[in-house]
Amino acid sequence: MTDEAKPQPTPSPAPAKAEPTPLEIGRYGKILQANGIASKRLPDSCGVETVEIDAKDLQKAAKTLRDNQEVKLNLLNCLAGVDNLETFDSVYHLWSYENTNEFVMKVSIPKTQVAEGKLPDVPSLVPIWNAANWHERESYDLVGINYVGHPYMRRILNPWDWEGHPLRRDYKQPVDALNDKNPHSMR
Amino acid sequence: MTSSTITREIPKPGINFQLYELGKFIRLSLTWLTIIFGAVWIASWLVGVLLPAAIEQFMQGDNAHFIGNVLRALTPIVSVMVFIPINAMFMVLCERRALALFTVRKGPNRVGPDGYLQTAADAVKLLFKEDITPHGADAIMFTLAPIIFFAPSIFGALPLLAAVTADHPLYSFVNLPTGIFYVLAMSSIPVVGLVMGSWASNNKYSLVGGLRSAAQAVSYEIPLVLSIITVCFMAGSLDVVQIARQQAGGLLNWNVFGGGALTHANLGSITSIVAALIMSLSCVILFCMYLIAACAEVNRIPFDLPEAESELVSGYNTEYSGIKFAIFFLAEFTNLFIVSTVATVMFLGCGAAPLPILDEVMVGTVTSLLAWAQNNLGANFGQLGWLINSLINPTTFVAALWVILKVYSLVVFAILVRGTLPRFRIDQLMDFGWKRLIPLSLILLIAITFLKELV
Amino acid sequence: MAIDTAGLTSDDLKTEEMVINMGPQHPATHGVLRLLLTLDGEYVTHVEPVIGHLHRAQEWQGQNRTWFQYQALIDRVDYLSGMFTSWALSRAAETIDECHVPERAEYMRVIVAEMNRITSHLLWLGTYLIDLGAMFGFPFYPFREREKLLDLFEAIAGQRMMFNYIRIGGVQREAPFGWFAKLKAFTEEFPDRIDEYEAIVTQNPIFLKRTKGVGILKKSVAMDYGVTGPCIRASGINMDLRRFKPYSVYPKLKFEVPVIEGDGDTWARYMCRIQEMRQSNEIIKQCLDQITGGWPEELAERRKSCNSCGKEDCANCGGDLKIMAKKQNAGLRVKAGEAFAAVESPRGTLGCYVISNGSDKAFRFKWRNPSFCNLSVLHELLVGHPIADIMAIFGSIDVILPDVDR
Repeated sequence: MTDEAKPQPTPSPAPAKAEPTPLEIGRYGKILQANGIASKRLPDSCGVETVEIDAKDLQKAAKTLRDNQEVKLNLLNCLAGVDNLETFDSVYHLWSYENTNEFVMKVSIPKTQVAEGKLPDVPSLVPIWNAANWHERESYDLVGINYVGHPYMRRILNPWDWEGHPLRRDYKQPVDALNDKNPHSMR
Repeated sequence: MTSSTITREIPKPGINFQLYELGKFIRLSLTWLTIIFGAVWIASWLVGVLLPAAIEQFMQGDNAHFIGNVLRALTPIVSVMVFIPINAMFMVLCERRALALFTVRKGPNRVGPDGYLQTAADAVKLLFKEDITPHGADAIMFTLAPIIFFAPSIFGALPLLAAVTADHPLYSFVNLPTGIFYVLAMSSIPVVGLVMGSWASNNKYSLVGGLRSAAQAVSYEIPLVLSIITVCFMAGSLDVVQIARQQAGGLLNWNVFGGGALTHANLGSITSIVAALIMSLSCVILFCMYLIAACAEVNRIPFDLPEAESELVSGYNTEYSGIKFAIFFLAEFTNLFIVSTVATVMFLGCGAAPLPILDEVMVGTVTSLLAWAQNNLGANFGQLGWLINSLINPTTFVAALWVILKVYSLVVFAILVRGTLPRFRIDQLMDFGWKRLIPLSLILLIAITFLKELV
Repeated sequence: MAIDTAGLTSDDLKTEEMVINMGPQHPATHGVLRLLLTLDGEYVTHVEPVIGHLHRAQEWQGQNRTWFQYQALIDRVDYLSGMFTSWALSRAAETIDECHVPERAEYMRVIVAEMNRITSHLLWLGTYLIDLGAMFGFPFYPFREREKLLDLFEAIAGQRMMFNYIRIGGVQREAPFGWFAKLKAFTEEFPDRIDEYEAIVTQNPIFLKRTKGVGILKKSVAMDYGVTGPCIRASGINMDLRRFKPYSVYPKLKFEVPVIEGDGDTWARYMCRIQEMRQSNEIIKQCLDQITGGWPEELAERRKSCNSCGKEDCANCGGDLKIMAKKQNAGLRVKAGEAFAAVESPRGTLGCYVISNGSDKAFRFKWRNPSFCNLSVLHELLVGHPIADIMAIFGSIDVILPDVDR
């Protein structure tokens, strides 16, 4: 497969994120606002309200939404780390066991704010949901986001001595580096 | 938008399939049983009759007589030695085919005609496999363990030979006055081999398996022995031949139905009849208890905790390979055979037919056939005529047929249980052993002892 | 290895603990799970699951392969319920693409998905009994029925396990002639078969002893760990996406979601799956009756009148009678956008989070695998149980290791 053969797949541009005009604050945004958490509304991801919040507010926001009797977002359905070219995103899909509410929270860390050789820091949600435990480990393993306050932050899917974070856009496979030195390599 | 029809028929295993497979299974069993017992028969005849006779014929003096007697004395050992490996092969094949039958499959049917030689091929494979002693294992103990596990099953079974051959002259000397005690004592040795092997393999799974096995053997030995002791009380003897003999004369004389309590009951007295009824009921319970304890003793499902495949990866024999593993395997099936034989001898009337008339008819038929052969064929062979006559002892032959039928029925029953039940958990197993079986066996022991006097 | 012994009670009689490594090569870990167990005698005091032995970088592959190529790969994510992984991906892509899937295709999807649910549960039933030690006997009965369904899968998709049948925009192909009749015959006899299993298993005293009150999963714990599927329905929470957030044609079908009120022990999880199989069977029956356009034999007959024109406005070929709404070739593209789509797989909520940038490859894939989330609750269930219960509990949460590791 020719796509594989390239040592570094050319990253395609991310979908347009920021709209020129700020969007109106939504239902969940209002709840967050009432609890003193600022949020920036993003375009809905297929009909589900999506907001971006600050890393420092994350734990508070999650706790608020979980304990809120109106929305009861008590299921952390999915947690995805995304390398979005300019930013590292941590995306939280919140669902509920009791109703059909859905909500998406994103924490964006611009790559410019991350020091060389360091990982972006995002607060861990393990104190609020144990479900976050393995998802955060996976996100750390594959995308390289450091979840501060996680009890057991180590690789989960890759071997424990793996180097690099495979789902980063600038990830280079170890085997590619080996083959670069070999003039007869077909890769 | 193309559509095609399904050409392949979806197979429907139905009752016909099952019957067909059952027929094949019975044919396989009969073939193998003929091979096994034919081999044992010929081997023991050679060693016990033909060779001594030939030696005494061609060598003169006391020496020849002595050698002949030594050979005769070796007959039981030789027959056991011939019997155990072939029998284990058959039992493994029988188990696999029977389980396949229970679960709508076909089982091994490729090696040899219709899979008859599958286990023989397996045995050859095991012999040629590399014999690995794991790193850190105690090599001496590791090698000794399978032998200690296996040896008692050879020597322990000897007194039973006298009973199952209806006290045939060649076998009667292996009978002991305390025969059944010797068998029980021998059958409790293998657990030492298990613990030894599991400790020596330097493997944690094996260790857990071995300790479980020790705990289980200790717990289930007690109800097993108590149920046998109860039978001994009923019979008033420890001699297996005598116990077997007492059960002759029909179904109701078997120990499983009260050992003659029903036939000997005094019809005039209500107490006697009631006592006889209760006693026969207790004996049925006793028999079931013996079967349960025996299942646990030989590590069969649902009591196969020491080797629990899905938990402990075969427990004590995890690290064994090649010939050592084969010996473990052999010993397991031999032990199953021996507990079934003990059950047959102690409970199921040994060589006695369910109806006395059957025995008479069968012995009569065989005797008249022999007489016919003696008259028509023996004459042609002249002096060797008596040798042919010595091939078959009618009483032993008929008794052995019944024993074979009963023992293998019990074996098939054990396989059926294996095909049905899941496994106990270790604490539940202990609870069941100590809180249910042991009290029950003690109660039955006392009850049957008293009831026997009342009948 | 960090083993936390701080929370243990210590008294003078405490024996030394043994660390035992269960797996990855262990007959009952359903693949390659590794459990680092700390045992006190036979009782588990600490457990650490180590996963990732089957990691095949499914997400990375999704980002480096075109949509069309990746469709064929995702059956491998969960090899026992490949229809559901395909369906989750298709739903995500269709949501972004605002693609209308023809109703006939949706019916076909429901039929094959429910068939797949039955095969998955049947395999679980067989292997679970092996976990409990019923080694060679009963476990083969479920395989008898599973075999029939696999034959049907082979007839419709060409493969017995890796179907690649549900595609973005519809399904791969029409059912062959005779397929519906065979399936109908199966649905007629299947309830009797379930009765047969129940007769052997449900009232078996040893089975009850091994499963009742073992591995209790409390509601609060389950919600905390994000457990879904039969596991959480056995704990008394009614959450089945087919009813909870209805998709496809499920609103048109009559079925019940089995919820077992009670302890949430392994027995409840067993009962939940058994009842789910009955419900799936009912769903298939209804779909066979209701499917838009009728059985393929009838439809082919009707299409003779228009000579299978395939035009959009044709009453026999177009609209909801089609089975595919998008062209399936290497140029398959999905609009820019992001979506999270979930389906109810046999193991729980199978979610697919996709970010697309409008090219032929996705920008980011993230699978939300039910096994992954359900397995993370394992250590809560195991501590305090004897070693023999490990497999009884682990088997009851029905984890597929490729689904965990991707």
